[in-house]
Parts: sequence; structure tokens; C-alpha cells
Amino acid sequence: MQRSLPFQLFRYAAIALALAITLVPILWMVSMAFKPFSEWQSAGANLTWIPNAPTLDNFRFLFGDSGSDLIVALDRTAGKPILSSLLSATIGTVIAMTAGTAAAYGLSRFGSGANLPLALIQLRLFPPMAVMIPVMMMWAFLGLMDTWWGLALIYGIVTLPFAFWLMKTFFDDMPKEIEEAALVEGCSRLRVFTRVTLPMMAAPLAAAALFVFILNWSDYLIALLLTTREWVTIPVYMASLSSSMTGQLYGAKAALGLIAAVPPVILGIMIQKHLVRGLTFGALKQ
Amino acid sequence: MTSAPTPEKDDGAGLGLRLTLPAQVLVLFISLFPLLMQLYISLTDWSPLSGMAWPRAWEFWNTFANYLDLVSDDRLWSALGRTALVMAVCVPLEFGLGLALATLFVDDFPGKRVAYSILIMPMMVVPAVAGYMFFMLFQSGGPVNDILSWFTAEPVSIAWLSDPTLALIAVMAADIWQWTPLMFLILLAGLVGVPDDQIKAATLLGASPVQRFLTIVIPRMKTIIVIALAIRCIEAFKIFDTLYIMTGGGPGVATETISVYIYKITTQDLIWGYVAAIALAILLVLSLLAVWAMRRMAK
Repeated sequence: MQRSLPFQLFRYAAIALALAITLVPILWMVSMAFKPFSEWQSAGANLTWIPNAPTLDNFRFLFGDSGSDLIVALDRTAGKPILSSLLSATIGTVIAMTAGTAAAYGLSRFGSGANLPLALIQLRLFPPMAVMIPVMMMWAFLGLMDTWWGLALIYGIVTLPFAFWLMKTFFDDMPKEIEEAALVEGCSRLRVFTRVTLPMMAAPLAAAALFVFILNWSDYLIALLLTTREWVTIPVYMASLSSSMTGQLYGAKAALGLIAAVPPVILGIMIQKHLVRGLTFGALKQ
Repeated sequence: MTSAPTPEKDDGAGLGLRLTLPAQVLVLFISLFPLLMQLYISLTDWSPLSGMAWPRAWEFWNTFANYLDLVSDDRLWSALGRTALVMAVCVPLEFGLGLALATLFVDDFPGKRVAYSILIMPMMVVPAVAGYMFFMLFQSGGPVNDILSWFTAEPVSIAWLSDPTLALIAVMAADIWQWTPLMFLILLAGLVGVPDDQIKAATLLGASPVQRFLTIVIPRMKTIIVIALAIRCIEAFKIFDTLYIMTGGGPGVATETISVYIYKITTQDLIWGYVAAIALAILLVLSLLAVWAMRRMAK
């Protein structure tokens, strides 16, 4: 459709404003991550938007090198929290995707588990805060408190609704002729699923897995309640990064925030075209 | 073990059952036990500090005292009210801004793909990190005040996060920043799906752009709008991460939403019997709401 010039100008102006509002918080954190200690607290008239002397000291500091002008040293580095986030989010994704894909296929092809769609939506509806007390009691009983595998298990359950619903819509959309042909050739139904269907669905599976991983990686509340010291994840560790001597460790926190923010943003842009489907439980396709 | 079934006889029901089993077990594991434990604990005064394992919570039996207490718990009701306020302000604004932006993205223009990719970035930022971003932005010597000072031409030093009203505004701003992109994304998918020919026909009949939007586009998008609003309302009700990192619910209880309140009495006051009662009451109300909503949707 041909648009008038004033409309074009208005559109670019509006989008430019939206882009600015979107980017300022992100760029401020990026800028802070590269600021030396002396610029962390720059304020008012001395506020620096771009670091005068950009440095990687904040990142070095996070991994135990306190050689900068910071007096404090961390009692533990960011290494283990990063490992904890990676392990729990990855294994949680494996749990959710395995159970979710199998169940979605069972429902989509054989009509099994007709209670699951609603049960899983309900799981998502309830605030995690409202079931955390019994979960904490169960996790303590099972010895899962403050472990990455305990986190992985709860992540697998919490993101199961997304894995299930996403894969269900993918399976529903898939033409059934190929599966039927394989059946006629004498493959068992299980073999058709593992050898024919799953390889064909490799791309949707990968997209769904990345989507679930982003959700697991983004958690804060659950890790806050289920980990205390050994296996805290990045967000929990980040919130604890302040000391009585320096107050808020602005730069170090921003550097860690940047490390935490980069993977999901990149993965999210990679799976752009599946985001709508994922976020609306498959109700909408792009 | 998978026996080799003959294709003619096997309708796949057995396999279907086995495939859905892990998910069923996980759902049961996370709903049945917690619900029963929660119900049991909620009828007692048990606390993890009481020196007794939870199965012996019956020694602190108080029947429905917790449920009677929550009716007169002012802090609970004000937290619920505050959560409702956050929802009432944020969700409509996110919807309006998202819809407005989406209408600008319906047809092609140079730079569309890049702009689109940048605009959806906030929703992928880890919420706790987004909370920290806005914590920095709203410091009294921070960038928000700096930008304001460009307009006032004199230094601005508003202490956003230590003023009860301003802290609430700051927290809402963070939520709107993070979740407007979600509305934009969903509504744009809806707008693109509205068939072109109907709009062209209406244009030929002399309908103005506003008329076309209200009479063709919006009714066509009804389901999508309902889904988008429902998803955001559900998530906004749970609001915790960004808010807790920014203000910790403070100053005082000025930004204490329901999740923050439950978190605090869980970890600081440790009155778990009472928390269980609140949690169950919320679950009950939400379930009833969900059933009611599903019924209405089905009509």
C-alpha cells in the first residue's frame, strides 16, 4: 500500500522514539559493565554515558582478579553460579522437552492423556509463590535443596507446559502421510515416532528447546528459594553482590548482568518466528 | 519392553499411554503432594522453627484459625490491592503501546527487520537483570534524572526508589518496558493475519482508516486480543523478579505485591502454616476464575 510522506515521517519518528526507550536501559548496563571503579558512581553533572576509560576490570573482578583499584575481593567468584545456571537450565530443558514431546505425540496421535492440556495450563496459571512452601519441604525431604539437579527437576516441571503445548501444535500441523507410509512398510509405531517423526521435526524441536531454555535461564524466584549457597544461580548471586565497604558493586553487577542477558537475547532473536507460538501456548502461529 | 505388535491390531493406545506417562507423573508429583501437604499445614500453626518435622504438624492443630486470620490481614489485602493496581495500570498501557507500535509494522518499510529485532529484545532480558537495569536507571544520580535535567535545564535529583509513590511508578515503568514487546509481538501477528481483501473492499466503500480499524480489524482480532490480555494479566499478577530487585517491596511496604508479601512471610516470619492458608486461598480463587473464564470462552 502506498503511504503518504507525512505518515512515513511520523512512523519513523515514532519508531525511533520506541527504539531509544528500548535501548537506553540496555546500553546503560553495557556502558556500566565497562566502566572503571572510579566512574561507577558518576552522577549529576559528572554523569558519564560512555566510559571515559573503558576497561575489562569488572569482568576480571567477577572471576577472582582483584588487581584493579577495588579494595574488596569476592569470597567466591561468578564461575560456579554461571555453571549452576547452565547446568540447571540445560538439564531442566532436557526434562521438559523429553516429557513434553513424548506426551504431546501421545495426545496428538493416539488421544492419550486428554487431561494434560488443561492440567498444564493450570500449572502455568498459578503463581509459583503459592506452591513454594510444599515444594521447599519436599525438596528438603528428598535432599534436593541447594543442588543444581534439584533446580533442574523443578525447572523441568515448570516449563513442561510450554514444551508440551509447543510440540503439540507442531505435531498437529505435521502431515500424517509419511508416518502412515512407514507404518504400512511394517515399522512399529514407536519406531515411526523415533526414526521418522522426530528427525523430521528436528527444527521445531530445536526451536522449542531453545524457547524452554530461555525460560529456565530467566528464573530468579525459584532459585532464590531452593538454593542458598553452593549452587546459587546467576540472578541470585548477582543480587548478593554488594559489600559493606563499597556498597553496590555497580560495575561488577552490570558485567554479570550482561553475561546473563546475552545468551537469551541471541537465542530469542534466532527463534523469532516461533516466539508468538511459544508465548501463547500454540494458540497463535506467526 | 516393547513387544512387536501387529500393525493391524495395534491402535497405538498402549504406546500413547506410555508416552504420556512421564508428563502425568511430573504433573501429579507437583500437584497432588504439594496440595495435600499445603492443606495439612494450613490447618496448623506449624513453622520450620517449631523444632518438629512437618508430619507432626498436627500437634499445632488450629483448625481454621489461619483462614480466619487472613480475612483480617490488612497487609495481605493491601498487597492484593497493590497487585491489582499494577495490573490495572500496566496491562492496558502495554496493550495500547503494543497495538500502536504493531499498526506501524503491518506493511514493509526500510529497516523494518532490524527495528523489529531490537524492539522485542526487552522481553528476552532476564527479568532479574531488567530489575537491576532499572535499579541503576532510577538512582538519584542516575540516567533518568539526567535525561529529565535536559528538559528542566537544571540538575534533577529525584530519589525515585525511596519515595512510596515514585517507587511504584518506577516499578511499573520497568514492567511496561519489559512486556510491551510481548503485546507488540502477539498483536502484530494478529494484524498481519487480517485478510487484505476485506480492508480493500471497505476502503472502496469509503470507510475511513479509523472506521476500518474499529469495524474490521478489531473484531477480527478478538480472540488474539483476549489471549494477549489473559497472558499478561496472569503474568502481571505474579510480578516479583524485577520489582523485588528494584525495591525489595519497599520503601516500607509501598511496592509490596502479593508475591513479595508471600515471599517475605515465608522467608522472614517463617509462619508457614499461615502462608499455606494464604497460598491455598489464592489457588482456590484463581481456579474458580479460570473455570469461569473457560466457560465464557466456550460460549
